[in-house]
Amino acid sequence: MTTEGGVQYSKIAEIKGPLVIVDDVENAAFDELVEIQTTDGERRLGKVLEVGNGKAIVQVFEGTTGLSISGTNAKFVGKVMEMPVSKEVLGRVFDGLGRPKDGLPDPIADQFIDINGEPMNPEQREYPKDFIQTGVSVIDGMITLVRGQKLPIFSGSGMSHNLLAAQIARQASVVGTQDDFAVVFAAIGVQYSEAEYFRRSLEESGALKRSVLFLNTADDPAIERIITPRVALTVAEYLAFELGMHVLVILTDMTNYAEALREISAAREEVPGRKGYPGYLYTDLSTIYERAGKLNGRKGSVTQVPILSMPSDDITHPIPDLTGYITEGQVVLGRDLFRQGVYPPINILMSLSRLMKDGIGEGSTRADHGEISNQVYDAYSRAQEVRALAGIVGKAGLTEIDLKYMDVGDVFEKEFLTQATDENRTIEETLGVLWKIVSKLPKNEITKIKDKFIEQYYQEE
Amino acid sequence: MASNSSLEQAIDKILVKTEKEILSDLEKTGSDSKNILDNALPKLQQEYDKIISDGKKEADKIEKQIVGSSDIELRNKQLLLLEEAVDKVFSKALDQIANVDRNDDYSNLIKTLLKESTNVLGTSEITVNTNTKDKDIVQSMLSQFPGSELGSDSIDCLGGIIVKSKDGSMTFDNTIDAKIERLKPLIRKEIASKFGVGN
Repeated sequence: MTTEGGVQYSKIAEIKGPLVIVDDVENAAFDELVEIQTTDGERRLGKVLEVGNGKAIVQVFEGTTGLSISGTNAKFVGKVMEMPVSKEVLGRVFDGLGRPKDGLPDPIADQFIDINGEPMNPEQREYPKDFIQTGVSVIDGMITLVRGQKLPIFSGSGMSHNLLAAQIARQASVVGTQDDFAVVFAAIGVQYSEAEYFRRSLEESGALKRSVLFLNTADDPAIERIITPRVALTVAEYLAFELGMHVLVILTDMTNYAEALREISAAREEVPGRKGYPGYLYTDLSTIYERAGKLNGRKGSVTQVPILSMPSDDITHPIPDLTGYITEGQVVLGRDLFRQGVYPPINILMSLSRLMKDGIGEGSTRADHGEISNQVYDAYSRAQEVRALAGIVGKAGLTEIDLKYMDVGDVFEKEFLTQATDENRTIEETLGVLWKIVSKLPKNEITKIKDKFIEQYYQEE
Repeated sequence: MASNSSLEQAIDKILVKTEKEILSDLEKTGSDSKNILDNALPKLQQEYDKIISDGKKEADKIEKQIVGSSDIELRNKQLLLLEEAVDKVFSKALDQIANVDRNDDYSNLIKTLLKESTNVLGTSEITVNTNTKDKDIVQSMLSQFPGSELGSDSIDCLGGIIVKSKDGSMTFDNTIDAKIERLKPLIRKEIASKFGVGN
């Protein structure tokens, strides 16, 4: 931090969408923070997007509504945007730009950190392999999340992704260690009622004291959404790598982030890519997602669960498509299950955690975890085929074993998948239900589990 | 008489048979009830364990809620108290700065601020504004900065100067107020550490 301030320029050449173009600018830097002062003394924040030929293009986070060319001043602050961080941020609620939203003063900062973060040195990355218990059976049992992983949730408009996000934020914990655990929750462009739900849900469950909330609501300026995930991740990195905590970052809804990016891109008259999103959407998303991980020699970890709603439930849409290239698996919510009233409506056959195999088994969850999970996956997949067949030939045309698989499908959805929003299941309880499902099948149908586990856990009727 | 005796015999037989049947039924019912009770016991034990475990889970949840919200409430009150104390220290410090002696050291400070401002703006064609207290000092310094002039308007500040390029396109706020504002987070941290926070 410096005592030297920046120069204020008063020649505004143009105001275009969320951008302000300032003339006769010398010595401005890329990404430099800019304070825009309106005629009535109101201050808004922005950052430099481009500099050259004596002009600077400034992106105004709070929007340009009400700004006019005459009387508006732009002060180039001489530093990039920083987030004040300290342990005191835990239990606090901030807006999308990192300003207190809970009526309390600014946190007393231990450090001021550039919100753009430092890319993690690939050589220093440590392979993620420690289990995080979310208390949600289908995630813990079959799409296991590990510390340092980035595992997105692909949802659709109106589905229960926010309920799931809040449940994970309330219940998530690291088992078998005394290390501190924290949740950084960034709500990006959510409705006011949803933001209130997140806040109340964490407050009432007592989980707020180990959480930090960043709330950017739908009526906040869209451009603020570009900053929200970055301030959230800056805090997460500080908690993880400076204070040694295991931090789970939940970002919802990344679709709103991508739309804000599209808005800026259109205002800058850039050549549009697929569906009007900028061609650098992949690179931009990677600057967020790649901020998850573990570092050699550091105690903490940053785990990311970005949530995105797929427009028209289209998984080939650029946002889920490009997200899927960067992240390590995906949790997909299914519209059919949602319509049936199943919560959480996770379509297990389309979901995958690429790092699961390294985070489960003896020493982390239980020795039989991998095998029972594979067996249930296989059985549920078969159950879906049998259901399709029953739709054609009727139940009467099914064999006895087909009927057992149908039964497996029903028990899977009713007892394993379905869970109350305040039900926190331990991994032992989850594995117990998985064995209950497998035990619906005769032993000769169980081909993916070692005999010793069958002897130990198979539940005879 | 003979018919009476055979009737009695028949009645006795029926009574004995019925008694046997009733006793056997009673025995069977007793044994069935015992079996049912025996079979129900493990289930009962399971239900009992489940109720106890659910109750414990619920109690843990409520305990977490109560402890969590009281911790937050306590911390928030501490933060507000700390902020109040920091504000008091701050306003006292600002009072002292506002009433500092305009001596040689202060004149040197103004000279440094002028140099800094012309460097940042990249021109010496400047108009300098200051508060009424500092006008004379600034005026005396301007002779060392050819092309500069003192603005007619006074500004409301603790001390220091605001420098504008003569074409009005650039302004540099080099007042003490602006410097304090920029350093406020660090000063707050410093004050808070005196109260034992953030050490």
